[in-house]
Amino acid sequence: MAETSDSGRTMDIIKVYAKYFDIIDDYFGSIKHYLGPEEDSHIDLGYSIANYPLISDLIYDATEELDLEIEKYWKENLHQLIDYAKLQNVLKCVYSGDISPTILENFVKKSALYIDTIILPDPIFNLSLFQRQILSDNKYYLNKLIRHVFNIWKLKDLILADTKERIILILPINLDLINTKDRNILLNNADASILAYLGSVFNREFNDKESCFEFLRQFETSAALFTNVARRDLLPNEFQKIETFIEFFERFSETGKYSKIGTDSIGESFGLYISSQFVRVQEHRFICDRLIAEPIYDYELPWFFFNYEIGGLDMDASIATALQKEKFEWITKVPLAALKIFREENKLDYMRCAIRRGLTDLKAKNDKDLIEVSNIVEKNLHEEFMRQKSETEGLKREVRDITRKEIPITTGGFLAGFIPYISNIVSLLMAGRDITKMIKRKKEIDQNISKKECNYINLLMKSYERN
Amino acid sequence: MKETRMNFFVDGLRIFLDYISRQLRKNPEYRPHPLIRALMCAIHDIDKINVGETVGGISQDGTSDSIYEPYAVMLKKREDGIEILEIRNLKVGKTLPVDVMILIFRLQIQLDRIVGDLIDPEDAVNALNAVIPGKRFFFLGDKWKEARDEFRKLMEEGKVYFPPDQEMINALMKIRFDTPWEEYPNNIRALIGSSVAKKYGSTVVITTPKIYKIEKYKVFDMATQFLMGKSSEYLKPFKKED
Repeated sequence: MAETSDSGRTMDIIKVYAKYFDIIDDYFGSIKHYLGPEEDSHIDLGYSIANYPLISDLIYDATEELDLEIEKYWKENLHQLIDYAKLQNVLKCVYSGDISPTILENFVKKSALYIDTIILPDPIFNLSLFQRQILSDNKYYLNKLIRHVFNIWKLKDLILADTKERIILILPINLDLINTKDRNILLNNADASILAYLGSVFNREFNDKESCFEFLRQFETSAALFTNVARRDLLPNEFQKIETFIEFFERFSETGKYSKIGTDSIGESFGLYISSQFVRVQEHRFICDRLIAEPIYDYELPWFFFNYEIGGLDMDASIATALQKEKFEWITKVPLAALKIFREENKLDYMRCAIRRGLTDLKAKNDKDLIEVSNIVEKNLHEEFMRQKSETEGLKREVRDITRKEIPITTGGFLAGFIPYISNIVSLLMAGRDITKMIKRKKEIDQNISKKECNYINLLMKSYERN
Repeated sequence: MKETRMNFFVDGLRIFLDYISRQLRKNPEYRPHPLIRALMCAIHDIDKINVGETVGGISQDGTSDSIYEPYAVMLKKREDGIEILEIRNLKVGKTLPVDVMILIFRLQIQLDRIVGDLIDPEDAVNALNAVIPGKRFFFLGDKWKEARDEFRKLMEEGKVYFPPDQEMINALMKIRFDTPWEEYPNNIRALIGSSVAKKYGSTVVITTPKIYKIEKYKVFDMATQFLMGKSSEYLKPFKKED
């Protein structure tokens, strides 16, 4: 009975997400066939459309009502999905760090090997209802919208797949959706953290944000700002070298041109970036707590600030985040369809045990810890592949033994109507039964081998070996 | 005229037509601009023809007191998509460049956002400026007194060109200092607007009194007159090809 109601609930959730994709289809269905098989085709599509003369303006105008449509959709479905997400007693991870992961498909391929459910902030909701208000360039917005919409669209089959646990749940996640009281607490916490962090970085005491920004505003170049940092060890890795620091903030200032929130100097941009990170961390932690979920990141910068503020990820979050490391890129070479089958066949627990082998408790507090976790995960995967390989080899050996030694002689004699040591009908029948049994066994092993060779883990193994 | 565009262009148009379909779903009485209806008819039939063949769509209100001008759109099916052969205003017998067609589509979207068939002149100007680059339109509104004084100054300096229309001059003579803007004849308001346009850095000054409303279809007329009028660089007289 409980099973029926669970499956009924799951089907309801699939229907709700089917409606989500109907909205995307209604607005962008005419261009979906431009989405190529390349992993970054959604990025190309966003860029091409946003830069297409005349048509980009028309598309911007014609899809402007998407904000109202998505708002209505979430008004109708939010509570059902939040309740569902909360009730799922599985390993859930909430993504944060960008509108959506750069290449969602790869992010999911890596994450869904270990975690049951990835909770993604709805990019349409965040872009159309919030980001658009602060962006001054329509083409820039359209580029982002199309890019992230099709990033999600590529995962449609997986999101709607009939799996035991939902692989992906899309939810509207935004600070503005949090009730005023909690939001104010989060913002106050963030403000205190920003002042403390920047105070430590510059070895100064800031009493309030105004005086902090006044100090930062004096730095007009990245180089000037960098040389005034007293504690570079408190900065993320990417900011610890002047070249990468300058490169990052030049890029950040460049994107700032598309925003209505103008900054007067690089120093102010730096302050703005750091502030946004601490606010994001507060929001992320709050959402994770509410959904009884772990945080997950796909790149170092946002993860760094979460770590700094919260003090390290727990075991499952560490493993899930470690899987995003570049060294696991080979995981992404396995087709998404295979992942879908893997999850439909409920193989996740098996894989999770293999990845977690030998790990009982850990906390990744810094990049070194995360590298260590990723090394253990890699070792576990390697061992699992070796075990799987030796199992397949064992089965193949068994088949060889049956085929080479026994079947040819007995079957040959049987088929020729000549059985050695025939004395009566019974022995003939027994010999026949023996052969039938062996053929049946061979068939079973063959099927088992073919199943093993085609399964997701074996495809992963092949990709790992090619790496 | 031959306007060739990549597939992508037509698919972009389909996104717009999906927008029109959504409006129709919301309101079955929704009546978009006839050019849009002509395009919808043509695109609807494109799947029924073979590569190399052409299809056309025509739309007009079909009544003697039609407020919209009739349009025709001709499309040709190609291996790699659709070619827009011609967009023609049947009433004035002129072709429209694709650029103007896109602006009309965008204007439709802007006007759809304003409820009702009658809209405030200020909203009309905002809609026009949202789609026609360069903030060409200016709504005079409360600045009419300032414009009136500027006009008088220009008149005194002999910088106003008066059309040879005695009736208009007589009407102008009747205007007093305390005459409310609403009581100015339309052509006098228009003359003042065009004379002071430079002052407001615009090409067209909309002088409709603030308390009046403008029919939506007239906003399309304002756009097409501006984009296709005699002084417009977009003007391309239609020549019938044999």
